[in-house]
Amino acid sequence: MGLTSVLARWASKRVHVLIIEVPGWGASRMLLEAELDRRGWAVALSPADADLLAVCGMPGEELRAACDFVWNQLPGPRARVNVTGSGSLSTLLNEASAHLGDDSAQREDARSRSQNTVAEDSAPDAGEHDGMAPEEMDHGSMDHGMDHGEMDMPMPGGIPLAEGGDDRDGLEMDFLTVPFGPVMPHWPAGLVVDCVLQGDVVVSAQARVLEAVSAPTEVSTEEMTYLVEARLRIIRLCDHASQLLALAGWQTAAQNARRLRDDARWSADIAEHVAPLDRLRRRVERSVLLRWSLKGISLGGISVGRPVGGTDALAEAGAATPADQAGVAIRDRLIGWLHEAAALAATSSDTRSPAAGDLDRAREARDLLGALPALLRGTELGTARLLIAGLGLDTAALAPAHERTHD
Amino acid sequence: MTEPIVQVSPAWAVLTPFLLMLLALTAAGLNGALVARTAGRPLRSGLAAPLGEVARLLRQRRQVTVAADVVLWRIGAAGLVVVAILKILVIPLGPWTLADLDVGVVWFNTMDVMTWALFWLIGWGANSAYALVGGYRFLSLAVSYELPLMFALIAPAVAARSLQVGDVVAAQQDLWFVIWMPVAFVIFCGSVIAFSSWGPFATGAGRDIAGGFLADVSGVDRLLILAGRYAVLTAGAAFAVPVFLGGGGGPLLPEWLWTIVKTFLVLAVFVAIRHRVPTIRPDRFAEVAWIIVLPAALLQVLVVAIIVVGS
Repeated sequence: MGLTSVLARWASKRVHVLIIEVPGWGASRMLLEAELDRRGWAVALSPADADLLAVCGMPGEELRAACDFVWNQLPGPRARVNVTGSGSLSTLLNEASAHLGDDSAQREDARSRSQNTVAEDSAPDAGEHDGMAPEEMDHGSMDHGMDHGEMDMPMPGGIPLAEGGDDRDGLEMDFLTVPFGPVMPHWPAGLVVDCVLQGDVVVSAQARVLEAVSAPTEVSTEEMTYLVEARLRIIRLCDHASQLLALAGWQTAAQNARRLRDDARWSADIAEHVAPLDRLRRRVERSVLLRWSLKGISLGGISVGRPVGGTDALAEAGAATPADQAGVAIRDRLIGWLHEAAALAATSSDTRSPAAGDLDRAREARDLLGALPALLRGTELGTARLLIAGLGLDTAALAPAHERTHD
Repeated sequence: MTEPIVQVSPAWAVLTPFLLMLLALTAAGLNGALVARTAGRPLRSGLAAPLGEVARLLRQRRQVTVAADVVLWRIGAAGLVVVAILKILVIPLGPWTLADLDVGVVWFNTMDVMTWALFWLIGWGANSAYALVGGYRFLSLAVSYELPLMFALIAPAVAARSLQVGDVVAAQQDLWFVIWMPVAFVIFCGSVIAFSSWGPFATGAGRDIAGGFLADVSGVDRLLILAGRYAVLTAGAAFAVPVFLGGGGGPLLPEWLWTIVKTFLVLAVFVAIRHRVPTIRPDRFAEVAWIIVLPAALLQVLVVAIIVVGS
């Protein structure tokens, strides 16, 4: 037993956490990320990589089903927490860590899981494992969601084979139907994009958003009352920038943006952040490799970049926001975000700036969601991810309680 | 001062994996420390991070996806460490080498071509879209880096008029090859980073595809792949020493120690690069690799050949 307990102790220093954000609960996710950074825990990129599943917010029915499904994909030892406020975050994680280190509890969990699987396998026609319904949201092992059309085809492991079709070069290539999201690193909360892929090229896409059961009201709002609109906007801009930089593979810059985001939440004087934000922006502007890597990736004719708060202040500061231009390049979008954040930090001495109404934000989010399928068509997967991140989609602004579908 | 390289008893081969893994672990520790620094944590916590990772992966259950090609998947996962060990067999540690093959340089090249198969198998075996895309991405990258790498390795061989690693070291007694074939050295280093799926070339395991070929591996399989990646990177750094950096040559320290010191310095640069630069997308890189890098490598070989024939 000596060795297993030593392993457990060492393992607890480096817990990998898979974060699922519910639309509207971005603040909880950011607090969690900051806490993970402080502890030296890692953010998992896929369920197979995770020890701990952290659901930030109160998911609606479909999102909850997706969370349960992902929970089944954690290899174990595993633990699960629901993050809905900041107060108990540290205690929550400590408890989860203790649960992960509890060998007997984990063994019990593993035993009950394997019994479940055996029960399912022995059931007649249990074609698919893990209790998975065909429509359920999958991610990580996305192969399960393939075409369900031809049932007389050979079905290895209960999965029908993909069907072929002409690709963009006129060669025949398999179509693979893959839902992206709602559980993906650096992904807008609750977004699901049902893609048809040929290789790594998106043939067609449909976007929808899985809703929260309720917006954060109790603890988080209390947390946020002193955060005025401009500050919230800065936090959101830094978060967007961080996600985009992470997807571009530039970890140090992404981390830098993330720290600025977290500092903006806690610091007394937001004006202090002007210099660091400008430094980051210059660093991004200077990178030849980033310019080359993002070259030619643009949002097409989609109108983006209307600053939500503090428009006048921004104009005074002479910020060049790429608003309403045709074909905003992703790189300009990124630099525009950082520019806007710095300008907001410089001009707003924590006074409440004129905020765009919820209606405006909802309309913008709806427009972006509607434009998504056309934007993604024919793009390579990596480009598609950058484009989605570049939209800066605010899924929380979409009207709650029912789903929207666009194609 | 450099004596001819002698072949030692094959029994010493037992020790080489330990030395390799020790260096790889040091590299992982350095990586952890650098990550900790950017996150604003004490360096020491980062240094120990690899041990924590090893412990948690040893505890984690290995998972199998639906209809996975388990045999090929496991071969891919276990193969990286094996390939790294096979690579370092021809690398002399100071005055000693395990096998001074007369085709040592080609041996190394053969082993790095094995990584094509291994990363592809890891991506293929999981039977999952992300992993498969990760495999595709590695292969498309490999098509770009492999030819320049081959020519970059030919340059020192031409200068030494031999494919034997021992001869290549001996030929650098007066002047290290890195001095008069810098282009080949840079291309070699870039290719090592690429065939280890590391840093800017790690698109196969990219964050945008949920970890790519790593998306579905867990437990000991994941440990083998991650350790294998470090091992392959270490082996690449170690091979730069006899081929470009004068082998064990250097003042004061014994030759075997110089080999290790030089290896670690190259390795440290590789590790430091990891998070500092944006990803190089395989589709973009193909153009550059074929239009700029490959001709540059050929020119380098030409220049070396002219100098060698003229002297």
